[in-house]
Parts: sequence; C-alpha cells; structure tokens
Amino acid sequence: MGDPNNGDDRANSGSSDLPESASTSKSTDSRPLIPDSLAPRAQSRRDFLEGAGAAAVATAAVPTLGMSVAQAAEEPSQANVLETAIQLTVNGQRHNIEVEDRWTLVEVLRDKLDLTGTKIGCNRSECGACTVIMNGKPVYSCSQLAVWADGADVRTVEGLAQNGQLSPVQQAFVDNNGPQCGFCTPGQLMTATALLENNASPDAQTVKEALVGNLCRCSNYNAIVEAVVAAGDQGGVA
Amino acid sequence: MTQPTRIGLEPMQIIGNDTPRVDAIERVTGAAKFTRDVKLPGMLYARVLRSPHPHARIVSVDTSEAASLPGVRSVITHEDAQVVWGAGSVSGGRQYNDPTKDATLHRRYIFNNPVRCVGDSVAAVAATDRHIAEQAIALIKVEYEQLPFVLEPEAALEDDAPKIWPEGNLCPDFRNNFEPMTSDVGDVEAGFADADQVFEEKYETGFIHNAQMEPRCSLASWEGEKLTLYTPSQGISNCRHDTAKDLGLEDHQVRVVAQYMGGGFGNKNQNQDSDLVAATLSRRSGAPVMVEYSRREDWLGVHGRWPTVQYYKIGVKDDGQVTAMQMRAYSGMGPYRKNSGGISGMDAYGCPNRLREIYPVYTNRTTSGNFRAPSEPHGFYGIESMMDDIAYKIGMDPVEFTLRNMRRPTDDQPFTNYSLEEVIETGARQFNWQSRRKLTPGSDEGPIKRGAGFSFMMFRAGVGTSSAIVRVDSNEKYTLFVGVTDIGPGAKTTMGMIAAEALAVPLSQVEVVWGDTDRCPYSVGESGSRTTIQTGLAVVQAVEELRSQIADQGMPNGGDVLIGTATPVPTTDGKTRQCFGAHYVEVEVDTRIGTTRILKYTAVHESGRIINPTTARDQIRGATIQGIGQALHEDLLYDSDSGQPLTPGYYRARHLTHQDVPDIDVTFIEVDDGYGPFGAKTAGESGIILAPAAVANAVANATGNRMTSLPITRDKILGAMS
Repeated sequence: MGDPNNGDDRANSGSSDLPESASTSKSTDSRPLIPDSLAPRAQSRRDFLEGAGAAAVATAAVPTLGMSVAQAAEEPSQANVLETAIQLTVNGQRHNIEVEDRWTLVEVLRDKLDLTGTKIGCNRSECGACTVIMNGKPVYSCSQLAVWADGADVRTVEGLAQNGQLSPVQQAFVDNNGPQCGFCTPGQLMTATALLENNASPDAQTVKEALVGNLCRCSNYNAIVEAVVAAGDQGGVA
Repeated sequence: MTQPTRIGLEPMQIIGNDTPRVDAIERVTGAAKFTRDVKLPGMLYARVLRSPHPHARIVSVDTSEAASLPGVRSVITHEDAQVVWGAGSVSGGRQYNDPTKDATLHRRYIFNNPVRCVGDSVAAVAATDRHIAEQAIALIKVEYEQLPFVLEPEAALEDDAPKIWPEGNLCPDFRNNFEPMTSDVGDVEAGFADADQVFEEKYETGFIHNAQMEPRCSLASWEGEKLTLYTPSQGISNCRHDTAKDLGLEDHQVRVVAQYMGGGFGNKNQNQDSDLVAATLSRRSGAPVMVEYSRREDWLGVHGRWPTVQYYKIGVKDDGQVTAMQMRAYSGMGPYRKNSGGISGMDAYGCPNRLREIYPVYTNRTTSGNFRAPSEPHGFYGIESMMDDIAYKIGMDPVEFTLRNMRRPTDDQPFTNYSLEEVIETGARQFNWQSRRKLTPGSDEGPIKRGAGFSFMMFRAGVGTSSAIVRVDSNEKYTLFVGVTDIGPGAKTTMGMIAAEALAVPLSQVEVVWGDTDRCPYSVGESGSRTTIQTGLAVVQAVEELRSQIADQGMPNGGDVLIGTATPVPTTDGKTRQCFGAHYVEVEVDTRIGTTRILKYTAVHESGRIINPTTARDQIRGATIQGIGQALHEDLLYDSDSGQPLTPGYYRARHLTHQDVPDIDVTFIEVDDGYGPFGAKTAGESGIILAPAAVANAVANATGNRMTSLPITRDKILGAMS
C-alpha cells in the first residue's frame, strides 16, 4: 500500500477512471430480436407482484432448487474458455484442479476448495483481505491468477490452527480483540504469521510496517498491532 | 493489552470485566460465514450494469445479446423490473416511517430512468457463474441521451441549474414541502445586537464513504411465497419489513439472515437495492441468486457521509459569553434523498439565541446517507473550529471558552445525569493541555510546528423499544434469542454478558442465538448506537420475567423449558439522556511538505456503565481513527468537466493504514444514571464525532492557520503557509 501521506496527488491521479461499463454507451446498432422467453416485458410493480404466484408454481415444478452445484457447473457455458490443469498444495493437502485461465487464486480457494475464510474486499490489490501465504510469502490472492500458482504451496486462515489448537497469533487475536467485524482478520492473520515466521518478536513499529497492506475499516489497528506484538512475546509461530 | 482508564464504578460479576468475544474463535479461524460465503444448490451469480454518465436519459436498452449468452438466466432493466426501493428514497430522513415512504414524491427504483449519477443502476444479469454474468453485462447495449449535470449543492440551487427532479434540486421534507430544515430558538438578531464582536466564517467538509471491508452483496432464495435473504444487514428486523413492503409481501413472508458481516457504519441499515435486485432475479430465474457489488460499485452505488458547506455567524461578548449563533448550510445528498442531510453541533452550546437553516440538495454525485453519527462529525468540525478560532482571537483558552458556553441542564430540560465538565477537565489533566497547546498559534520556530487541539460533544443516549427471549432447560442451559447482527462492536457478546449478569450464571452457560428473523424477536438494529441500550434492556427484563417464573415453578424438569420474554417501552421521565466526550490531540505539521502527524491522542468518554471494556475501548479507538481519516485524508473528488468520480476506492481516498495510526488513550468515566441496562449508554458512534474538530483545531494551533475545509490535505496546508 502506498503511504497516504506520501503525496497529495489526487488531482493528478492519472486516468479519468472511466467506469467498467463505459463502452456500452457507444453502441446503438440494432440487434436480433430477443427470444420470447427472455423478452423484457414492460411490467408495473403490481404486475410483478401479481405474477409472483405463477412464478412460484414454475419454481416448484422445475426442481432448480434441488440442482447441485456440480450440475450447475457442468452446464455448457462459454465456448473457447481456456482451462489449464494445475497442482496446488493448500494447507498441506495436494489438489489437482482444472482452472479457467481467467480465475484468480482466491476464486479457486473460495469456490473450488470451499475455503471461504479468505475474503474478497476489493479484488484489486488495495485492501489485503484476501492475503494468503504462497511459498512462504504473504500475497494478495485476488491478484494472483490461479495458473500462476501452479505448483505452489499455499496456506490460508483455515490452516493456521493445528489439531484444534489455535496458533499463537490466532490466540493473541482472541485475547486482544483483534477482530471487530472480522472481515479483514484472515488477511491480517496471514501477514502477521508470515512476519512472525521471519521475526519472532517484532516491535510495534515493525508490525505496522509489515501489515501496512492490510486495511481495517473498523480501524482496529491498535488492537491488531497489540495482538501481533503479544504473539511474538509468546514465542512467535510454533 | 492497552487497558482503558476507568473512573467511577467497580466491575460487577460479569459486566465491566474484559471479556473476549463469544464468537472470537469463529472470527480467527475463517469459520465465520459471511454472506458471500453462503452457498445454495443451483445458485446463480448476478452483476449490475451502472451508468457511466452523471445524468442521462436512457433512450433504449438492448439486452438480447446478453440474454442469449449461454449460462445467462435472467436480465432485468428499468423497463421490466420496476421495484420501488422505499428505504433508498425516503424524504426528510424518516427512514423508519412507513407513511413517509408511501407519501414520498421522489421515488427511487432499483433501476432508474433517467440515471442521475455515475454508478446509478441500469440493469442486472443472473448467470451460472460470475464471469458469464460479467460478460453478459458487457453485452448490454444502452443508448443514453446525456443531460446537463450539477455537482455542487450551492450551484444546484441556482435558478439555471440542471433540474435533477422536476421540482428542482432542493430535497422535499417528509411532507413533500420544499423547505430547508430550520430550527429557530430565541431571538438571534437581538443576540447579535447584544454582542461585542461578531465573527463569520465558511466551513466545508467532504464525502466520506463508509468503505466497510465487505462489499455489498445479497443472496435471495424463494420457496413458494417465502423469500429468504442472506444479506449483510445492520438491522434484520428493519430489513425484513422494508423488503416485504417494497415487494408487496407480508413481513412473515420474508426471512432475513445476517450472522457475520464485514462492517457497515450505517450503509447496511435497513434493506438495500441489492436485496431487491437479488429477490427479483431469483423470482424470474427460479433459482437462488447472489448479487455481488465490486469495490468500485460499492463506492459509487451505495452511499457515504454527505458533503457540506456551512456558513456560521457567531456573536460574542468581550468576556467570552456567546450571545447568538447562526448557521446556513448545504448538504449534498446526491440524486436521492436516502437520509436527512443533518448538521449537528450548535445544540451542544447553551446560547439562548440560535438560528439554523440546512438545505439538503440533490446533486449528480453519488448518493449520500448515514455514516456513523450521521449528522455530527462534520457539524462539530464546523462549529468547534469556529469557536476555537474565536477563543484564540479574544484571548481565551478554548477549554475555558467551552466550559463557559456549553449546554448544561436547565429546570426546563433536566438530564438523567451530566458529566461533561468532569469529562473535559479529566481530559485536560491527562493530556496536559496547558503545556501542550500554543498560547499563540503557530509560534513554534522553524518549519516543523507542533500544536494541540480540543473538542467536546454530547450525543443522544435515549432509550427505546426492542425485544428479547430467554429460555432455560432442565440442564440449566440458558438460550438467549436476540435479533442483533454483530456488525463488529460485539453485540452478541454484550447481550450474552448482560443476560449472564442478570441471571447470575457464568457467560459460558448462556448461548446467544442471533441474526435470523425466523429465530429471533424484533431488535432495533445496530444503528444509532441503540443496541446495547435498547436490546440490552429487553434482555434484562426478559431475564427478570424468567426468574419470576423459576421462583414460582422451580427449574424445569425433563424436556420442559421455561421462557421469559420482554418488549419494554422505557422512558427517561422527561429528562434528556446523553453520552459525553472530550478529545485532545497534539499534532506535528511539517510546513515544508504539508504533512500532519499525530503525536498524542487522549479520548475521554462518559458512556454510562461500560459492559465490556475491551470492545468499548475499540469502539472509541476505531471511531477516532476513522475521524482522523475524515480530518486529514478522505474525500470523493469529482472532475467538474466530466462529472466523473476521481477517487473511489481505498487507495485513492487515502484511507489510514497501520502505519498512519497513533496510539489512542481511552478513558471511561462510568456512571449509572438508572436508565438503560445497568446504566449503559451509547458508545459506538461517539468516538467519531470528536476527531475531525480536535485534529483541525490542533493543526490551526500548530500552524497559526485555520483550515476551513476538510480533509486537511497537504496542498491545503502548503497553500495556507505560502
């Protein structure tokens, strides 16, 4: 993360930062007719509500709700989406996975391996909520393509506790109120773990420097630093 | 662990003792399930298309290509999904009032035409995976007719300004009258006539996005006529009612589940448009639908604190007595009236002559709404900068000036208790105010200058209705049902502690059931710092009810249970109930490069009895740090030529990081005024109210230059010093 004190440069922040959808406004050419089944209907709110009953019947008749995630995933989606077989070791367990080339590491962790402890806060390398340890270093998993992680050793928050025993830094977060809402906590814990593995007793300033890329909007920064320093005093990561 | 200093009350058996969260292990192991972690069989993922223009009429939307993309299940636009978002468009800040929602002239739909800001929703797609939904969004063709736009509230009130709504740009009040919010006490003109000096100044504040770490998302699933919404809501009961109302359902047809949520600070109150979009897409596609906003969408499509322009005129006697206070102010609400646009602060003074006029104004910026103490930090910054400046100009200590002029209880308006004087004096002593402040602002030699600032506040701590259920079985296991969502302050733990104290059992004997409208009774919602007071009191009374049953019947046997319930309707017997605070901060300004560093920060609060000192401490510290960010960094800048937002996101808004954060010394003066659960008052919002004013006053004391707009960025300091 950049230091917010380092340059008051917002007026020169570069691009006009057009929204993702900007290009859609340019095209106005005519398109094929919409299939009847999907045609948008000019519908009042009342119509929508009155139609709700019929939709419910349709829902009941088609067992969509009973469809498994696997079935949904097997549906033909996009042609020419490239897939690559990769091998990942996550929390000590080896996985062979077919991934779309556009998937990020955090998507694979959350959606394919069901390790939802790792959070997506910004999906663009700003906040650090998605931090995992890859090959010994903390990385933003939102900004690693899954194919780049082929062969990597990845550790997530789910791998910190061993045999039901919290790691020292997890225990210190419990004791020092490290989490408020808890959304940034997994990322903070992973960066702190990587720090403690390299420096068993960091002081507060060292902790702040190491965790600068992990934002906390509850702004529970004081408690997080106190927790990491306390974990170090207890001997760091076992 | 840095403990808060505590003055006044001894800890009880459980209350008042530092207590780890009851769900701390879930929060540190990744086991806590947030909304985006919920998976339902066959669920679809949805994305929203948003306007790239600040103001435009949609001439046509062509969704055919998007709809025919394999994997796309439903596409909705303003043409075929006309759902009014009641809580997003209520007039006059009456967001809990159904008649006002029904009467509101300016209705916000989940998709609007015209679109009125960059980021306004245009269409949504549900598909079998996120990438397909994103591809489909890019295939929707929208023809826009661009309209003139206006970004600044004062400009928006000019006669020739583009009209964002047919009646013009002054927001209607809850009766649909186009009038400013006015408060007129005493005779302000007589007060000015009585003054020896009259001071006038203009203050401005920026847009502060709530910026909670968890972007907005909603997962909707229908079973027949029943809708289940997994959504990060600060108030599941309010969210349920709003959603049912917007969709034409009865409350019991909607279940809202919000167990863990990644912050909100006021932008997850009630229901959100994403809840209605998810419910509509789910109904159309016959499958559960998860709507997920990107960080940029959350920044531009949800809301943040309203930017303001505040003009003050203050009359003062030579002896420091304030004789008249006048404010005319403008709040930029964006294109929809989601909340009040209020500006508080003048009420903290006792001056009998006060005139306040606030104009909530539509603009083509993103929507403004509630952020932690919605009306306060910007207002206290304005008035307390004004007063600090006057104090130095007439040669008084700002603390002495405050003690002379702050509001105090009167015979007409008694308080449940009043500790503001003790709060201010305790802080001054702890901080060593007299030796840290510069008697002559800016008097440090050399380019690196130090100075100290002070601010004070009082803030509502009223009582009100909420509900609780407590059950005991034959194993003496107690189960507490409360509709809290535990957004971060630790309500689940606090409620458990209150129950355990009232039951005289260990906290481990109480299980808390929370965050699900089908399992929990009404709770007021974690907004307005009300949960501890209101739901906490319901817990106390539910336990009393249970204990009287146990006294009558003995403990239950076998499979029997006893259940106590309570929905108290408490009053404060006509007294006003307030929490109090004072902040003192020392800064160091490097006038060569314009940076401001915080050297020492002392926060003293009276929030009644403190239930859990650990979590209360971090409410104050966290809120204070957010307030420092508001003082020095955060804003959402727009390009005036294009109407495009320039700084959406953490990096560009320059949110504080670990490295920017000072130590915050917290002191609680504890009092039991006989109201609320064991005398507890508000804590969650109070810390943020004081930081912008205290930091700005410290910068003025250090540099000798009054900064009249927030944030106090480097360029402003450099400009002032040149």
